[in-house]
Amino acid sequence: MNKHSKIFFSAILLQLLAITAFSQAEKNDLSLSISYFNNNNHTQYLVAHAKSKIDGKFQMIPNINLSFYIATEDAANLLGKAVTNEKGDALLFIPPTAKDEWKKSAKVSFIIVSQKTKGFDEAKGNVEITKAKIQIDTAADRKITATLLELKDTVWTPVKAIDVKFAIKRMDADLNVAETPTYATDSLGVASADFKRDSLPGDSKGNLTLIAKVEDNDVYGNLSSEKIVPWGKSIKYFTEYDKRTLFARRGKSPLWLELLAYSIVVAVWGVLIYLFGQIKKLKQLGIH
Amino acid sequence: MESLAKQQIIEDLLPQKFGKAGKIWVGILLAFCTLGLVAYILQLKNGLVVTAMRDYVSWGIYISNFVFFVAISLVGSLITAVLRLTQAKWSTPLTRIAEIIAVSAITFASIIIIVDMGRPERFYNLFLHGRLQSPIVWDVIVITTYFFVSLLLLYFPLLPDMAIMMKHKDVTGMPWLNKMYSFLGSFWKNTAAQIHISEKAINILSITIIPVAFAIHTVTSWLFATTYRPGWDSTNFGAYFISGAFLVGAGAVVVAMYVFRRSYKLENYIKDEHFDKMGKVLVLLALLYLYFNVNEFLVPAFKMKKSEEEHLMGLFTGEFAIVFWFAISTAMLIPILILITKKGRKPFPAFIAGLLVVIGSWFKRYLIVTPTLLHPFLPMTDVPEGYKHYFPTWQEWSIALGSLAGALLIITIFARIFPIIPIQETITEIEEHEQA
Repeated sequence: MNKHSKIFFSAILLQLLAITAFSQAEKNDLSLSISYFNNNNHTQYLVAHAKSKIDGKFQMIPNINLSFYIATEDAANLLGKAVTNEKGDALLFIPPTAKDEWKKSAKVSFIIVSQKTKGFDEAKGNVEITKAKIQIDTAADRKITATLLELKDTVWTPVKAIDVKFAIKRMDADLNVAETPTYATDSLGVASADFKRDSLPGDSKGNLTLIAKVEDNDVYGNLSSEKIVPWGKSIKYFTEYDKRTLFARRGKSPLWLELLAYSIVVAVWGVLIYLFGQIKKLKQLGIH
Repeated sequence: MESLAKQQIIEDLLPQKFGKAGKIWVGILLAFCTLGLVAYILQLKNGLVVTAMRDYVSWGIYISNFVFFVAISLVGSLITAVLRLTQAKWSTPLTRIAEIIAVSAITFASIIIIVDMGRPERFYNLFLHGRLQSPIVWDVIVITTYFFVSLLLLYFPLLPDMAIMMKHKDVTGMPWLNKMYSFLGSFWKNTAAQIHISEKAINILSITIIPVAFAIHTVTSWLFATTYRPGWDSTNFGAYFISGAFLVGAGAVVVAMYVFRRSYKLENYIKDEHFDKMGKVLVLLALLYLYFNVNEFLVPAFKMKKSEEEHLMGLFTGEFAIVFWFAISTAMLIPILILITKKGRKPFPAFIAGLLVVIGSWFKRYLIVTPTLLHPFLPMTDVPEGYKHYFPTWQEWSIALGSLAGALLIITIFARIFPIIPIQETITEIEEHEQA
């Protein structure tokens, strides 16, 4: 191999190495995490989050196909599949078919696996939760209590020193019941708060929906419980819908408008009909 | 006119067959109508996408044409009703010209509004599901009413002439025409009772047509003024539209007077005196319309609210400036300058002034409709470039010109079939004058 050939092949090799390195560098690491939710102790679901560090910033990754498993990554334990949305989230309700695996232990783990894509290699994420539930209750003096229990073996046991948030469900977000946002549970697993929101608009009967929740807890996940109480102000919603207005549907125009319009139409067309009658009269006069 | 014998009047005013020029004129009008029809068939086949109308400019020259037709139709009430009720006898030779202009214009106003609909087969839904609160429904009601009022006002004074026509069957030379005269007016015997009923009916119609005519153009103006848009959000619109309508209608009558006078040699009936008087009427109406224009543009321009600024500057110095100043000049300023002198009110200069009024008024309607749509309150963002401008496509031009030709064709055919100047009324007036 002469000198020029050596240089030529070295250049080709360097170029191939650069291309390989570049193609490898093109793929970013996909980070998957998973959150467990238990609402009102009956609706359980999982929310997976897909993100990746691109150009030094974490970005949510949409359109990632995810498989959700319970306990192990076996086909038998597949809970279902979902695709991440534009916020990088994918939601999956835990199906009843997972009942047997769910009952096996007080602790349950969930696994998510992403398929290999053009931009990302296969990735995994998992979470282990201890089964727990929260119960909300109220007293006559507008006191709200929440009891947090976890499953130990087969017994529901109180959990202490866990922050519980008490709030009122509103249209867009939850409103704290008082200035303090969270309350810690005591040794009996009970946290309590006073309802300080007087004259808060409720529904037509003055009902408000109270909610007690544990958020993003490393052991128990997200738990919440709701209760409807008549502590709000009764609001009678006034609506113009289907009333006689200028902007109502056909047949619901204001009476004054109908009266005015139809009177004009009847008056003018009355004259025209009279004149058509005069033509008939002219004909009769001409014939006779 | 006193010297004209009755038989001479009849001979002069009976409809005449088309000469060479008449046939060419009808041919041209038919060609434009056919072109418009072809363009409309293409529009029906492919949808409104063949037009330049898009999301912002959804009312283009079809609606401009509609407003123009509605405006010009108002002339029927001006000449026939107002002048009749004020006992301005000089207007007698002009009444039928005015009424046929009104009927043809209102007919094509109705047609052009259907042309503007993307799905014309759904037109009946306006009657089935129309809301009484909507000015569009009021417009449908009032246009229909005005059409029938105008038709009756055309028909009643025609009855005595119909009897004359039947006596001169040989003049028409067409049996089907004689059958039509017979169908429409064979019962007219010119008895005292019939004359009484007819005169009473004409008086009732003259009174009825004035509020209906005001309503038709006020309601048309409300189609715009009841929306909240720069240029349309005005309390001046009703009066502004009516004054403009009277002007263009009177201008159209002057043009028609000149054309009929020359074509049918009616110098003994449509005299210089008529041009002089109509010229004065035109000056008055042009000044009135100018006054409303000053109100319409000067007051918002004085305040120059941000939302109105782009629209107004577009008219005064922007992309519509040439059309705007052309319209103001031709529809008002130049006609006033021509007609304000006695010489200017001679037939030919008056004809030129009338023609300018009509042409300028068409462009004025375009300026009322389109620039506002191109200047919405919220700026146009993320839209194709074509949405930001409007220039009609050949289909729109063809349909618009076809509709204008159609209206002229109705007038032309009418003048071929019926006397364009009322024969019996002219004779009666001369007889009354001689007796006096």
